[in-house]
Amino acid sequence: MHSYYMAGLSISSEIALPGLLAQGDDGGPSEISIRRDKVDSALNSKRIVGPTWQMSGDQFLLRIPNVARFLVTGGSTVAFETENDTPVEDVAIFLVGTVLGILLHQRGHIALHASAVQVDGKAVLFCGRSRAGKSTMAAALSQRGYPLVTDNLCVVATAAGTPMALPDGGRLRLWAQAIESLDLGTRRSAPVRTHIEKYYVEPPSAACEALPLGAIYVLRETRPPLREGIDQPHATSTPLLLLRHIHLPLLIRKMNREAAHFKAAIEISNAVGIFYLTRNFEFVGMPAVISSLERHWREMGLAERAT
Amino acid sequence: MKTIWLASYPRSGNTWFRMLIANLFAGDGQPVNINELRDPRAIASAREPFEYLSLIDSGVLTHDEIDCLRPRIYEALACGAESGHGEDSDSAVRRSVHFVKLHDAYTLTPEGEPLLAGARGAEGAIFIVRDPRDIAQSLAKHRATTVDDAIAFMNDPQAAFSWQTGEQRAQFRQKLPTWSGHVSSWLNQRDVPIHLVRYEDLAADTAGRLKSALAFAGLAATDEAITRAVRFADFARLRQQEQENGFRETEHPWRPQIFFRRGEVGGWRDELTAEQVARIETDHEAMMRRLGYKLTTPRAPPRDRARGTAE
Repeated sequence: MHSYYMAGLSISSEIALPGLLAQGDDGGPSEISIRRDKVDSALNSKRIVGPTWQMSGDQFLLRIPNVARFLVTGGSTVAFETENDTPVEDVAIFLVGTVLGILLHQRGHIALHASAVQVDGKAVLFCGRSRAGKSTMAAALSQRGYPLVTDNLCVVATAAGTPMALPDGGRLRLWAQAIESLDLGTRRSAPVRTHIEKYYVEPPSAACEALPLGAIYVLRETRPPLREGIDQPHATSTPLLLLRHIHLPLLIRKMNREAAHFKAAIEISNAVGIFYLTRNFEFVGMPAVISSLERHWREMGLAERAT
Repeated sequence: MKTIWLASYPRSGNTWFRMLIANLFAGDGQPVNINELRDPRAIASAREPFEYLSLIDSGVLTHDEIDCLRPRIYEALACGAESGHGEDSDSAVRRSVHFVKLHDAYTLTPEGEPLLAGARGAEGAIFIVRDPRDIAQSLAKHRATTVDDAIAFMNDPQAAFSWQTGEQRAQFRQKLPTWSGHVSSWLNQRDVPIHLVRYEDLAADTAGRLKSALAFAGLAATDEAITRAVRFADFARLRQQEQENGFRETEHPWRPQIFFRRGEVGGWRDELTAEQVARIETDHEAMMRRLGYKLTTPRAPPRDRARGTAE
């Protein structure tokens, strides 16, 4: 059995989950258990059905054809069954991505589709749609000395009044081209899946504690009429902007979690600056982007060390 | 709301046709801004609707695995599922007909079902074809290659857009198995009704061809709206907008690249060498004849040609 820790939750898993921070098994019960088991191809009671999934009560069934079926129950247990002799190493990335995302929704957490680094004791988040450069920004900044907080999925706890980002303590996931362009070859480990040229990359350092949010940047590409730079969206639009960057946003509605998300989005918007970071996707421009971010942090008084 | 594919080989007038449709409903007496056609569902190979509805990060799936799931997404969208990034502004268009651009050939997934979900994915397709001799130069500019490379691409059964595996492209892989293969895949499929538009006919009689395409799609538009759309989406105007403000749909908008290039019919006559013309005509003779594109290079005797035309 493997033990991990992610976003404040202890996880025990029958298979290795290379994306997460391993911890010693303290013998106590885990909040989440992941095991191989028989998983039927359909739920048998009243169902809400999507292209790859079905939901009924506290059960959620996800099927990735020819890869695996996953049954996520009650925010605490995950059973999976591989299809077509798919090796378990090929399944892990779905467990730490979509499946944990579903489970976090079931548990009532707020998770942004974001990567984050630590700047002067605070978490700076980079949200964006697929391919917006979340992992690339986090990788470039971690190389510059800012510890990685999380990659791809960032749980934000709002219960204590100050929104806090919870680290996944784990690794970056980067495409071969990004690894080469950012000169991270020596930190590269296994591919996330056998036939995918995306790899786990060990960051130079990682944050282990929950951190108050310092700033949130929504990543955009410089496409007309958008120009390069950092802009602040109108304050009234930021809660909706955040809602668009919730991890697995479809589940907000399907699980009737609109009110909780709207409340959290307003709390986060009130507590922290939310900005657009518009950049082109060529790696050669990355040092200039980092300089403008550090300038922005100094202006905000966020970063003594961002020099 | 019904879905109609707006399908073509690349550089065949697909975007121009979308601009014509968008300008049918230009509300304020001004041409639609070419950078404000932001419906994320408007291209079938986009990642966002797939990831929103499937819950799966497409970056950890292989091209073939994505293809196996694409029909599920098109079925859901055709049934009215939301795509997740807000709906587009020209809702008047959306209410009755939803046009979805695509360059994919009409292929089957590795599991043997139509990639575009057959009749469950759309109610019909407007298929635009263009003289391959005019496509060659345009495709070369678009892909930043030589014309000879473009001609080879147009005759490569393995050709595709966004096929790369070491990085994530904005769009899914789109198979383009030769120009002839692409066109025949659409003309020969029997899953969805097809309305064929030749770019050259659209250029010669834009209002007339637009009107018949809209009739096929079941979208009502007055003659006045059609006339205005033709004026607003005039190629020179589109090019002028691009020169002034750039065009967000170019692949690398921060690099000097022109999307609305010439748009002319027969531009190949002064752009291609005789040898290049001969290569295209040899590669695609049968399909060019089928579509009525007149060949210029001397051909083999008619008896030998007959085999190629009998499709």
